[in-house]
Amino acid sequence: MLVSLTVNGTPVSREVDDETLLAVFLREHLGLTGTHVGCDTTQCGCCVVHLNGTSVKSCTVLAAQADGGRVVTIEGLERDGVLHPVQEAFHRCHALQCGFCTPGMIMAAVDLIDTYPGPLSEGVVREEMEGNLCRCTGYHNIVKAIAAAWPLMHGQTVARAAE
Amino acid sequence: MIFGFAHRRQFVLQSDNNTIMVRPVLSERSFKAVGKALPRNEDRRLVTGRGRFSDDFTLPGQAWAAMVRSPHPHARIVTVDTAEAIAMPGVLGVFTGADVRMDGLKPIPHNPVPSTNYDVKLTGRGGTEVFIGPHYLLPHDKARHVGEAVAMVVAETLSQAQTAAELVAIDYEVLPWVADTTEAARPDAPRIWDELPDNILVDSTFGDVAATDAAFAGARHVVSATFHIGRVTGVPLEPRAALGSFDAETGRYTVYAGSGGAVRQKQELAYVLGVKPQDVRVLSFDVGGNFGTRNRGYVEFGLVMWASRKVGRPVKFRAERSELFLTDYQGRDLVTEVSLAIDESGRFLAMRASNLSNVGGRCVSLSPLSKGSGLITGSYDIPVATLRARAVFSNTMSTNAYRSSGRPEVTFAIERLIEKAARELGFDRIELRRRNLVRPDQMSYTNAVGSSYDSGEYEINMDRAIRLADFDGFPARRAEARARGKLLGLGFANYVESSIGSPKERADLIVHTDGFEVVIGTQPAGQGHETSFAQVTADLLGVPFESVKITLGDTDVVSAGGGTHSGRSMRHASAVIALGAEDLIERGRALMAHLIGVGKELIRFEGGVFRALDSNQAMTWAELAQEARRPDVPQEFAGGLRVRRDNEMHTPVFPNGTCLCEIEIDPETGALDLKRYATVDDVGRCINPLIVHGQTHGGIAQGVGQALWEHCTIDPSSGQPLAGSFMDYGMPRFDNMPSFKTEIAEVLSPTNPFGVKAGGEGGTTPALAVIMSAIDDALAEYGPPAIDMPATPDKIWNAIHRRPDGERRDDAG
Repeated sequence: MLVSLTVNGTPVSREVDDETLLAVFLREHLGLTGTHVGCDTTQCGCCVVHLNGTSVKSCTVLAAQADGGRVVTIEGLERDGVLHPVQEAFHRCHALQCGFCTPGMIMAAVDLIDTYPGPLSEGVVREEMEGNLCRCTGYHNIVKAIAAAWPLMHGQTVARAAE
Repeated sequence: MIFGFAHRRQFVLQSDNNTIMVRPVLSERSFKAVGKALPRNEDRRLVTGRGRFSDDFTLPGQAWAAMVRSPHPHARIVTVDTAEAIAMPGVLGVFTGADVRMDGLKPIPHNPVPSTNYDVKLTGRGGTEVFIGPHYLLPHDKARHVGEAVAMVVAETLSQAQTAAELVAIDYEVLPWVADTTEAARPDAPRIWDELPDNILVDSTFGDVAATDAAFAGARHVVSATFHIGRVTGVPLEPRAALGSFDAETGRYTVYAGSGGAVRQKQELAYVLGVKPQDVRVLSFDVGGNFGTRNRGYVEFGLVMWASRKVGRPVKFRAERSELFLTDYQGRDLVTEVSLAIDESGRFLAMRASNLSNVGGRCVSLSPLSKGSGLITGSYDIPVATLRARAVFSNTMSTNAYRSSGRPEVTFAIERLIEKAARELGFDRIELRRRNLVRPDQMSYTNAVGSSYDSGEYEINMDRAIRLADFDGFPARRAEARARGKLLGLGFANYVESSIGSPKERADLIVHTDGFEVVIGTQPAGQGHETSFAQVTADLLGVPFESVKITLGDTDVVSAGGGTHSGRSMRHASAVIALGAEDLIERGRALMAHLIGVGKELIRFEGGVFRALDSNQAMTWAELAQEARRPDVPQEFAGGLRVRRDNEMHTPVFPNGTCLCEIEIDPETGALDLKRYATVDDVGRCINPLIVHGQTHGGIAQGVGQALWEHCTIDPSSGQPLAGSFMDYGMPRFDNMPSFKTEIAEVLSPTNPFGVKAGGEGGTTPALAVIMSAIDDALAEYGPPAIDMPATPDKIWNAIHRRPDGERRDDAG
């Protein structure tokens, strides 16, 4: 079948098998290997991308389901060489080690910070991010990075001006 | 003297066949990058999705491999019928153990017996050579564990390969099996290998048996216990993957396969395939977690290379998570029987231990048994000890080093035994430890089984950790929990561990006109070598941190190197880079002397600049690199301003520390909540605190994971592994872990130029012991009950609500 969608702002169309997963479509048909697959059971969250503005585990979404939609992957967060505040916070807080879970972690965190109304407490971050696994960091610095990124995203102009 | 040493005292260490001079290399005053919490150089590509993990590579014409895996724990392979599979659409080939044999492929040369000068010497019975069980890419005789690859299908697409793999018909003769460690060691257990009379492959005794017996005979108290530190698996989040290709024109193999050391993989794969090492290129760039799991070769790496030659196309394999739970090398699985002889004042007199390590169906590493053997006496001054160390085959996946190989097991044994002694004999558990800790004035201290602890301030660490954890505030927190109907327990553990590892390392230091490059054979999987090695290099060469680039992971560039394991990389890298930097500075001086026509002794190097003493002439590294590229440069500088330095360093170091935690238990449900966790870790020189703390955090999570959730459960009636996905293997998660309080102690090791010990594994080493200590403390009023790891709510609830005979207690919760 023909699947047409927008990925990181660019329209793409590809002929794919019906059963092609969105994660496979991104990695193997578009060469966007930043989206990772770490399990077979929708547990690890390495494959999280945004579909129409909401985070989804792309290993459990068919490419066909994304037809006509807007997908943003980890490759689409950086703007003109400037890291997204969550990418920057992960870097500053050492919230990544091997980096394999990181793309899914960042995409899930961006959605959480975008949609969460108030500053994120440690407890809220831990509860909301529970669908993403990390084996390297013990989560400690990821929690710090996400909490640190909330004000950056919600008061970006202020935060940027203050720099 | 080329640069200002902190002091002139030199440490001289005997090495194998040469003498290495070990001395502090730089004054701490000249550290500009070392010791700073610099964010990592690696991060930019990893946070933007531009990492290079094994499965990210695709080659034109690439085919896919799928494995046919044994459903039986133990079975003879009678026939393999591949006809139906070969006839399936897209199938390019089906390969079996018979084909492996016919093509003369050799077993993976695992070399499992640790062999540096300071490793304990493990042998078979009566000092015989250790039989390890040959590890062919596919077996032709028997399957020895569930999930063992027995045949491989290669097809145009992954789904075609997987579909055809279902149709490979294997006639198995199912054999009796054994998985449990203790049962496997019985003389009448089903035999895994016909070459041995039973399943015991290692049986060695260390220490002074007669003195230990005498000390026990005269002791006022003897406390004994038996523990099984169970089987877990490393679970790096990046699935194992390999992409092999064979170039028929050059006869060269290439494989993209993330591991713990590309150079080792290259050597081993060349041996397996029967080619020269230079005919194999291994590429291992970003590696999505290792933790020991990837330190040994996997059959699939060799299989995709071999298959590529057979089908004339590149071949890729990527394991699914369920395959990884069955076939990633696993960890721990040690049964330890320990006894401690104690006098009336609480002084430890002697220790006796018998350790039995389950190596699985084949022996790929004896590191866990070996590492633990040298550390059975822990942080304590115990005059005499005896250890019997045994290893046993079983019908399980092979075990390997896993996050702090062997050390959490023996730390668990000594620390749990001390707590038991304190309870039974009426000592305060912290005072009992304090009375027996190795003191700084005893350093370097040789323990009763011959390990020489390099340095450390154990009691100072302990007191610092006690303050960090607000030990004094615990009674109030416990009372507050009690008021809410909860049981709060305080866990305590000390640890000392050893970092040895492969003794050789090589570094190439290259001065480019626009910066510096270090090529080195370690293999990070998240440890930040591109940052911490650059920090070291920058300060040694007197240049900005930002100007140094570290190159790793392609065996066509990296010619030698020991890989990353056993906390070795920072220590070995900083040592070889320090030596290389001295050489490079000497070359710089010689080049400038030549250029300006003076003697080398008149060129001084300071602060990143070369100066002629009797003039105002000065040259920078970049200027010298530019000059070295001129065609008329003397022969000795042809090829540019660069050096290659090899170093061999056998002497181990002994990171150490103390850890406390608090666990709250709900007696109604058995559920527990890890509330607080504090550690002080002596890592020696800390090159980058941001990275070292991060390593500690991850290490803690892996230790806590084993204590509370993780277990490679095997069904005792069928031998089938029951943990095959993230739905049935309990992982540390965001919502079951606390934030940590971690502090670093820097007691410099005298064994290497920067004084590095190791960081990261110390997070794991005491974690199993400290968690179980806290649970014991919380449940003190119930005995405390003996709970095996993982300490699940079910076990805890039963411990609270049932008596040892299984009857429900009337008075509980």
